[in-house]
Amino acid sequence: MKKAIVFLAISLMVYLLLIVPFANYMRTKPFVEKLGYVPTVAAVKAASADQKEFVGALLVMKVLMYFGGQIDKQQNKLPSPPDYPAMSRMIHSAVQLDPYNMDAYYFAQAILVWDVGKVEIANELLDYGMKYRSWDWYLPFFAGFNHAYFLKDYAGAARYYKRAGELSGSKLFKSLAGRYLQESGRTHLALVYLSAMEKGEKNQAVKKSFRTRILAFQEVRRIEVARDRYKAATGVFPDTVEVLVKEQYLSPPPVDPYGGQFFLEPDGRVATTSKFAFAAGKNAANKNKVQGER
Amino acid sequence: MNTLIHVTLKGIFRDRVFQGIMVTALVFLFIPSIASLSMRQVTELSVTLSLSLVSFILLLLAIFLGGTSIWKDIERRYTFTVLGLPLARGGYLLGKFCGTALFLLLTAVVLGAATFLVVSWSSTIYPAARPVAWGTLALCILFDAMKYILLLACAFLFSSLSTSFFLPVFGTIALFLTGNVTQQVYDYIHSSAGAALSPLVKQSATGLYYLLPNLSAFNLKVNAIYGIPLSPSGLLLTAGYFVVYISALLSVSVLIFTRRELR
Repeated sequence: MKKAIVFLAISLMVYLLLIVPFANYMRTKPFVEKLGYVPTVAAVKAASADQKEFVGALLVMKVLMYFGGQIDKQQNKLPSPPDYPAMSRMIHSAVQLDPYNMDAYYFAQAILVWDVGKVEIANELLDYGMKYRSWDWYLPFFAGFNHAYFLKDYAGAARYYKRAGELSGSKLFKSLAGRYLQESGRTHLALVYLSAMEKGEKNQAVKKSFRTRILAFQEVRRIEVARDRYKAATGVFPDTVEVLVKEQYLSPPPVDPYGGQFFLEPDGRVATTSKFAFAAGKNAANKNKVQGER
Repeated sequence: MNTLIHVTLKGIFRDRVFQGIMVTALVFLFIPSIASLSMRQVTELSVTLSLSLVSFILLLLAIFLGGTSIWKDIERRYTFTVLGLPLARGGYLLGKFCGTALFLLLTAVVLGAATFLVVSWSSTIYPAARPVAWGTLALCILFDAMKYILLLACAFLFSSLSTSFFLPVFGTIALFLTGNVTQQVYDYIHSSAGAALSPLVKQSATGLYYLLPNLSAFNLKVNAIYGIPLSPSGLLLTAGYFVVYISALLSVSVLIFTRRELR
């Protein structure tokens, strides 16, 4: 009896000594390891037996938790770009286990499209989802936005918006399709789209990511307005964003929340070295730093 | 036989299996908060989690109650006492099976009620885009219970053969896993991707498809979660399949058990 108590006390003490470094190790474990590897879909399907929907939801949750951790780290400027390909693979596995899982499509649209720029892959995913979620107007709404904004395929966009309009019974989509026909309206419409998405969002990590993107687009909009004012006054497009700042058209100077630098394309379009994503912003910043050091 | 069903049920309750289930069912309390992590489908996720939990508990019951009840009776030498009474061996096996199946059904009803509570709680906090299909949800739990009763019959078949609990328990687990993929395999070998397979593989896979229980037919989870309409004729066919398959399994079990030497 006494021996058992002594043994228990020793075990507890060793546990207390061990648990802090153990927890620290788990916290700092590399992300790829944390996200893990998903075996082939056929294997997962067979192993999940009659729990396919549960396993699908689990994969989406895993990606979401991982992303939540990443977005906090990124704002603290830690040098590890998120493992987007692994996230994308996991989302694809999830929709093959449960083709109705809306969280998977939504996450792909909210994060993967913007941050990775794999619009075609996202559209394929959305087309796949539309076959199943035949009642859901969100999927054609997303696909319409992707076609118009990223691919500039306005006919395709109109087709998807028509479908979204039919499903939701809302006339909004018709006007959206119309407005997209002009290049000048892109930033404004991206802002409308992003604000609508941010408003309906519950998940804090995803909401934060929307908010950052909205901030970036608001800056773009500000530069566009200044650029147009400059053109109206001088008759030509400004060469650089710095000219706008210097000549008091733009104050305060624009800041890219992704850590990149805004610049003007030869045709006057506003762009940024970050391409509206954290990883690219960081690479661009590093490149600038290296060049500066040289 | 009624007495035997009664005794079996009582035995299960005496073993505190029901209390164990109730403790596991405490997980239901956490489902609404876990489901609230979802971005766009809180109610759907709470249905998914609840149904998964119900399935998981029923699976454990089917495997362990089905795999151990006959073995335990023989081990404790109850069988000899019972079979000393004017009761056929077949009647004994069927009585045990009916008692255990009834317990599974009872558990499904209790857990089903918990599911309804959890889902209605989640759907009042975060209303779903589409209303919850309550009827489909109830049918899904019923068919889940049927699936596990079918699995229980498989466990009884293994129990009638075996002298230990290893074959019934592991055999039932293996049958559960294969029973859920046979449809997938069948669809694959009959698709264009399966054209390259040798005819022997194809024929043996098709043979196994008809021989093994098709458990995926009983899985109505997608319909219940996303409110997708069910096909009444499909449900009737599945119910027919259940009755016929279970009768065949029990007949074979009785045949084996009556010829078996009990020492």
